[in-house]
Amino acid sequence: MRRNPGLWYAVPLTLFMLAFFMAPMVVVGWYSLMPARSFDLTTEFSLHNYRAAFAEGYDRPLMWSLIGAALTTVIAGLLAWPTAKILHRHAGRWASLVTALIALPVFISESVRLFGLSVFLMPGGGILAGTMNALFDVQIGTFLNTRFAALVGMVYIHFPFMLFPLLLGVAMIPTDRVEAARDLGAGRWAVLREVELPLAAPGLLIGGLLTFVLCLGANAEAAILGGRAVTVITAAIEQRFNYAQDWPMGAALTVLVIAVTALLVFPVLRRIDLNRIIRR
Amino acid sequence: MTTSPPALSLTGLTKRFGTLSAVDGVSIDIAEGEFFTIVGPSGSGKSTLVRLLAGLDTPSAGTLHLRGRDITNTPANQRPTAMVFQSLALFDHRSVGQNIEFAMKMKGVAPDARRSRAMELLRLVRLPEDFYARPVTQCSGGERQRVALARALGSDPEILFFDEPLSAIDYRLRKTLEVELKELHQRTGKTFIYITHSLEEAMVMSDRIAIMRMGKFVQVGTPDEIYRRPANRFVAGFMGEVNILAVSQSSGAPVFADLDLPAADAGGAYAVLRPESLVPGDGKALAFDALVTQKLMLGSRTQYHLRAGDAALIAEVGAATAADLSIGQSARFGFSPADIAWVND
Repeated sequence: MRRNPGLWYAVPLTLFMLAFFMAPMVVVGWYSLMPARSFDLTTEFSLHNYRAAFAEGYDRPLMWSLIGAALTTVIAGLLAWPTAKILHRHAGRWASLVTALIALPVFISESVRLFGLSVFLMPGGGILAGTMNALFDVQIGTFLNTRFAALVGMVYIHFPFMLFPLLLGVAMIPTDRVEAARDLGAGRWAVLREVELPLAAPGLLIGGLLTFVLCLGANAEAAILGGRAVTVITAAIEQRFNYAQDWPMGAALTVLVIAVTALLVFPVLRRIDLNRIIRR
Repeated sequence: MTTSPPALSLTGLTKRFGTLSAVDGVSIDIAEGEFFTIVGPSGSGKSTLVRLLAGLDTPSAGTLHLRGRDITNTPANQRPTAMVFQSLALFDHRSVGQNIEFAMKMKGVAPDARRSRAMELLRLVRLPEDFYARPVTQCSGGERQRVALARALGSDPEILFFDEPLSAIDYRLRKTLEVELKELHQRTGKTFIYITHSLEEAMVMSDRIAIMRMGKFVQVGTPDEIYRRPANRFVAGFMGEVNILAVSQSSGAPVFADLDLPAADAGGAYAVLRPESLVPGDGKALAFDALVTQKLMLGSRTQYHLRAGDAALIAEVGAATAADLSIGQSARFGFSPADIAWVND
């Protein structure tokens, strides 16, 4: 007992994780193996729900969620890289202001911001369309209630989660390495490919992971901005649990999402050296 | 005699930061194959100057010609030069081999050719060939120096720049690398432009030395000229400990320690005397009485701090010379007028 006090110090956290993290996972996994629409946890295991998930077309919402998450991650990354570079180069008062302006909305409820965007984009009396009509006598339509609108919402909501890890990543690029590469004949793209991206990779990977995983679990964007144009897997899961009262199916879909996430996340996590990031 | 253009020609090169001129109108021709060293204290502008030469900064005024070709506004990646950085700036996320091959990869050299050239360069900088696949992060300080050198040579540059690469290295390794650099210069025949704050380091390696102060070259010359005929007190004082004596002009002739110097020899307001020029005994033309105030053993030499009249002096005597004085003792010391270097400011 006295030999390794570290284990004892870890007891509270271990109990907490077992009760509130492991237990729900086990329950969800268990339910996913139960007969359809049952509310009992028995030992009659079957893979019926998993087969049914694909037979009943739940692979489409899962696909949309994956595509949406991947697209959002790529777009947010492309937008955040130059932003991070500019903010890092001009580190100072106005850069801090811009950073704060990007960070502040994170503290406001996601739904509120999405409804705001929805009001902004609404046709006819919406803020954008109404203003254009009143000031310039121009009538414009809207892309509200399309897949594109859902994507715009996803990028809008998740941009900070990409930007802030990337700021950290960009700060990990020493100026002299870039200069050395230039001195040795590297052009702009070669410097980006050979020096900047590899050195900023931890930030890029963390930002990418954060964005991707959050997007995989997001459904408000599709619901509020996308209308009925697209159903994402989280919406399908919610629908199974709530309206359909089919817990085993909902659980099976949840397990599928967790499995896909783990499959994508763990190989990336293994490449991140947290020690290197903290030391900087 | 054919007049080939100089390897590098600077004309009025200037870099201003606001109102400060970090580099202030420097003009010099550096010959093909020369080992040219720029020495100066921190803040003298020497690092800014080498950044201008490498193309990492653009000058505010002046021009730069490489073998007669104007490269004033050529960006760094298009200049046939390479630099060894003070921080070395190695690519820690790449292997030793990838570091050395970087410039060749940028030029589109085939992987096989790159590899064999990298092996040659490893041999040239005296690293074992199995270092090729080793991560840079697993190399020691001296090994990293050699990798940085091989990486710079890998671009087959016409001129190599060195920005104080040895300043963070312990004494013994630095001495070894100084000799290796000098040999490498002789073997490759390339033009080396070297920046350092240590005149001692510059003396060992250079063909010519420029002493830099406040953005300007104070003196340019061979190590011997810099050592024997310093242009002013600043240059004289740069090379370690030296006696600089203000010469008073009482009765028309310079006076020092009650010793009349021959008026004809008085070439300036200050007499510069190297510590090794002061010799114990009466053997020299000009001798004086001195009190030994301190004695320091330096290994091959013994350093005596002397007081002669109002003047404090430093003398260094070879260990082989059997003049064993002790602190508090009075002794005769002398020097010859030819040992004095005269400066005006």
